[in-house]
Amino acid sequence: MRAPDDENLFIAGTVPDALAALASHGVGAMPFAGGTWIMRAPIRREPQAAFYVSLDRIPELSAVDIAIDRIRIGACVTHSRLAAQLAEVEPCHGLVTAAGSAANPAIRGMATVGGNLSTWDFPAADLPPALLCLDAEVELATTDGRQRLPFERFLATRRELRPGTLLTGVTIPRRPVRTAHARLPLRKAGDYPVAIVSLAILLDRNGAVEDASVAVGSVESTARRWPELERKLVGHPLDPETARVLAEAELGAFTGRDGVEAPGWYRLQVLPALMRRAVDAALRSQS
Amino acid sequence: MATTLTVNGERRVSARGPMTALIDVLRDEFFLTGAKSVCREGACGACTVHVDGQPVVSCLAPIGTLEGREIRTVESLAEASEPSALQQIMEEHDVVQCGMCFPGILMVLTGFLRECPHAGRDEIKAALVGNICRCTGYERLVDAAAALARRN
Amino acid sequence: MALPDPSTVTMGLPRRDARDKLLGRTRYTVDRALPRMLHAAILRAEVASARILRIDTTQARRMPGVRAIASAEDAPGMHGIGIADHPLFASGVIRFHGEQIAAVAADTYEQAQAAARAIEVELEPLPPVLTMAEALTPGAPLIHPDWKCYEVLFEGGARGGNVAWEASVVRGDTDAAFAREDIVVVESCFRVGRQNHVSLEPRAVIASYEDGRYHIETSTQVPWTVRNQTSKLLGVPPSRVHVTVPPVGGGFGQKFDCTLEPYAAILARKSGQPVRLVYSRQEEMLTCLCRENAEIKIRSAVTRDGEIAGREAVAMTAHTLGGNYKVGSIKLASRAVYTNTAPNGAFRACNGVYNTFALERHTDEVCQAIGMDPLEFRRLNVLRNGDLGATGQVFEGDVLGPMLDRMAQMRDASPSKKHLAGGRLYGRATVVGTWFIFVGPSTATINLNADGSATLITAGVELGQGTMVQALPQIVAYELGIHPDNVIVRPADTDAAGFDLGVGGGRTTVSLGAASRAAAADVRDQILKAAGALLQTVPDKLVLRSGRVEIEGKEGSGMTIAQVVQHLHRTTGPVVGSGSFTNPGVPSIPGCAAGHFIDAIDIPVFNVHDCEVAVDPDTGHVDILSYKVVQDVGRALNPRAILGQIQGGVTQGIGYALHEEHTIGEDGCIRQNSLETYRVPLAQDTLPVEIELYEGAPSIGPLGVKGAGEVPIMNPPAAIACAVANATGCRVQQTPLTPPRVLGLMLGREPELELPHISANWWENVFRRPN
Repeated sequence: MRAPDDENLFIAGTVPDALAALASHGVGAMPFAGGTWIMRAPIRREPQAAFYVSLDRIPELSAVDIAIDRIRIGACVTHSRLAAQLAEVEPCHGLVTAAGSAANPAIRGMATVGGNLSTWDFPAADLPPALLCLDAEVELATTDGRQRLPFERFLATRRELRPGTLLTGVTIPRRPVRTAHARLPLRKAGDYPVAIVSLAILLDRNGAVEDASVAVGSVESTARRWPELERKLVGHPLDPETARVLAEAELGAFTGRDGVEAPGWYRLQVLPALMRRAVDAALRSQS
Repeated sequence: MATTLTVNGERRVSARGPMTALIDVLRDEFFLTGAKSVCREGACGACTVHVDGQPVVSCLAPIGTLEGREIRTVESLAEASEPSALQQIMEEHDVVQCGMCFPGILMVLTGFLRECPHAGRDEIKAALVGNICRCTGYERLVDAAAALARRN
Repeated sequence: MALPDPSTVTMGLPRRDARDKLLGRTRYTVDRALPRMLHAAILRAEVASARILRIDTTQARRMPGVRAIASAEDAPGMHGIGIADHPLFASGVIRFHGEQIAAVAADTYEQAQAAARAIEVELEPLPPVLTMAEALTPGAPLIHPDWKCYEVLFEGGARGGNVAWEASVVRGDTDAAFAREDIVVVESCFRVGRQNHVSLEPRAVIASYEDGRYHIETSTQVPWTVRNQTSKLLGVPPSRVHVTVPPVGGGFGQKFDCTLEPYAAILARKSGQPVRLVYSRQEEMLTCLCRENAEIKIRSAVTRDGEIAGREAVAMTAHTLGGNYKVGSIKLASRAVYTNTAPNGAFRACNGVYNTFALERHTDEVCQAIGMDPLEFRRLNVLRNGDLGATGQVFEGDVLGPMLDRMAQMRDASPSKKHLAGGRLYGRATVVGTWFIFVGPSTATINLNADGSATLITAGVELGQGTMVQALPQIVAYELGIHPDNVIVRPADTDAAGFDLGVGGGRTTVSLGAASRAAAADVRDQILKAAGALLQTVPDKLVLRSGRVEIEGKEGSGMTIAQVVQHLHRTTGPVVGSGSFTNPGVPSIPGCAAGHFIDAIDIPVFNVHDCEVAVDPDTGHVDILSYKVVQDVGRALNPRAILGQIQGGVTQGIGYALHEEHTIGEDGCIRQNSLETYRVPLAQDTLPVEIELYEGAPSIGPLGVKGAGEVPIMNPPAAIACAVANATGCRVQQTPLTPPRVLGLMLGREPELELPHISANWWENVFRRPN
């Protein structure tokens, strides 16, 4: 592996290697996992870190392990690999849609799960709402050891993580839920969605909703769950039009962010229709 | 400081730092100017090359991560100056206008048609979501690629 | 080799540049390099308006690799279109976010950028004037306080304060028309944003300074403009500037101006080394010379029978509003307004696209007001043979009427796509468009070589449109009876080719085609004369065909053209012919039009477009279900090439209609600074356009041609906006019709556009006074 001293990139071979390199270069060092935002920084006249630790040659981080009760996704799995490997795996329908339609094919082939989740200033990211619905956990490693964090906690605290912390993977419990991911780009594809509704629904034997997870992305600065709507869904049969009406009544839960591409009101306004589309897609997916 | 790369089957050495984007090394050091530097953020696809057979936007790939990988550029598509089947069908369909986007489009479609040799128009269009062409309005080049897929 | 059919010039000649473009071998300006070449970077203002207190380059000069720095004192000249109001570098004041302050040449681009950042600039910010409404408010700060002292480059425009230029048309008595009792007055307001060309090759140049002359190798549409403007800005004679043009990776009008060439030229002289300057994509987004934003108010006096008795219109930057229809009386005003925003420029069918949007939407509003079917209204009113255009020019030939019939046949022949709308709102519209090709001066020289090939020398540029690789070789080959592959086309070089106005406005095939045809005729006459003597036949009885001179009706009777040329080499010398062309022009009625840069209509070109749309009531997304075009092409020399131009132009128009817009932030900076937020159409956003070429309309173009590449972009915003209005029942006054805007319209969230800064009294909007 490369000698790190006189260069600004270290290719790590193992997680301990990477942690050591990050630690030795202090606050100026950052992981490089895909790099689609890091590499575009110069054209945007944004700063780059003084030193990067590349993670793409760490076998552990590039693995997708599918067990009976859980799925573990290494942090350096790209969006396109994630979509391909989980294509027929339940309950990943929504996550596969998220990973398989984000940005464009070139970016999906480079951008990684870990890079995506660590980019805290990316409101329109597709993976966070999808993972929020799946009760995912994030694995973090430091030189002191590893810990797991519920996904929601991770989103809330990711800006304040200790320097030198590495996101190593995401774990998803396999529950018998139906999932879907409805995203709204302004063109047919190729731009970031202005609003996202992701959901995971557990239906009882009679087809009524036993448990519902709904998450909204791109509307606010960070994706978050929609508990007001989730509560309303429970106990009723799952139906796209009913879900749309219920969503319309609970729009007050969010404050839409104004952006260059869309005003805040628009992001809210389209949520009921996205909820309807998501429920429609969930009903079509296998449970 | 030097980085050794394998480009179009040849070993090449770059004097640039490891965080340098591949596109800059290809164009400025190796004079392989087929790949175009257009948006430098992965939105236009004009700089697409293959890394280990997969289309990659070379503006976002630092050379330091590419040692030991097989890099191929548009210049390698033709064998002994004989255009590839895709290049030929694009020529037959009179697709080209200004031509700046084609190196990238050819690299994307070459990779895509290898994986989906029987792709239809809709799939071809979806595969091109990361490529901007400002001249042609796409349809004719999609027709050409679909005609090649039908031949496969 | 297939030989041309001597009876026709029409053929599907393949592009000679396609192979190398596909192989990645074509060397555009951005792909070129010279030994010892330096790289340049520009320091740009990051405020919209400020007084410059101090610029200190001392620190920057000491930075590693720096070879030269240029700023205002190096280029005291000003340039512009009508008035010389653009300095090369900001001097005294900053007028827009992104304005050039200094240029640095260094061994590497990174060093040049670092040095540019190290230039110390002390500014005193001033409140910026960001909108035309603000700029026109009485007492508004003057963007150019010295406007009166500026050199006027083109006479006739009225000017004053923040109004950079005013052009107007007054024909007939609109007051009387509006006072009639049998009319309905319909007033409409429209606003459009800026469109970025997004040429994949950015503006790029390599300049060197050798033997006291500047050599500028640049990605431009206008080599002669670059030559002349650079000389003016640098204060050197034009003969000291030499411009050559490699293959250009897209222009669309963005490269119809001299922009970055002078910076590289100055730095090359100061450093004594070649200098490369290539704008980054971000620079291209922020300082693009966009299709201009515009605000338009139109009032029409229309009878219940659909006669347009009078029309008054004010467009903040515009001209083609007088097109399409016969109008009893008319007043038009076009005003270019100074603001503290990045300058706009030319873009494919400049001003035509948004004016057609405004005119066609207004026409539909008129139809609604008088209860008339929009297609019937158009059939009744489109310009026909002998009708007067806005400025009084007489139109020749019935073109738009039969084109509407042709469109009706197309519509009847292909079933509606309404079923694809599903639960969405469905709308359809058929609209018309009129563009005017300005021709202007062109010249061509042809060397007929001893091998029977011809070398065509012009200052024409190949941007991808195909003129230089298809139309011109076809025309020359047709005249000379040789195959187009035997016509060598020399890339533009101002030291070799005579003056040309440049590639734009749909003029290239017409003007360069006419000049080339004349040059070919000159050569042809010399060959026929010599061959006549050799074959002892009068030249009238000779024909040029398949590379041979033959006695008419006697195949194989003559000799090869090469033999004739070889004979002439020994007797009178090599064979050279030349031809020139300029616009004869159709004048307007005296006193009617004032201040128009192009005041004579040379060739009108007409369009009929039809589209079906589906609008998602939940999200405002507009989906185009079908798109049809009938385009007047005069005569199609290469139909396949024209179909390619139409598919591409319509797609660019769809982008402008639905997504593409630059808006200005509160800081005066363009908000869409990358291709992430500036959304151009991608492969999934287009559809196969159904096209019919309408041939046979009168044209002064060689062999009856008209420019075909410019006009396809004219009508998509009009067609789509009218269809969306029909689908939603909403008054569409603005483009682009982004999902948020369309949903806002449907929800009543979009306020009516009123444009109070444009007075309902036409005379209050203009400097011009009644005669």
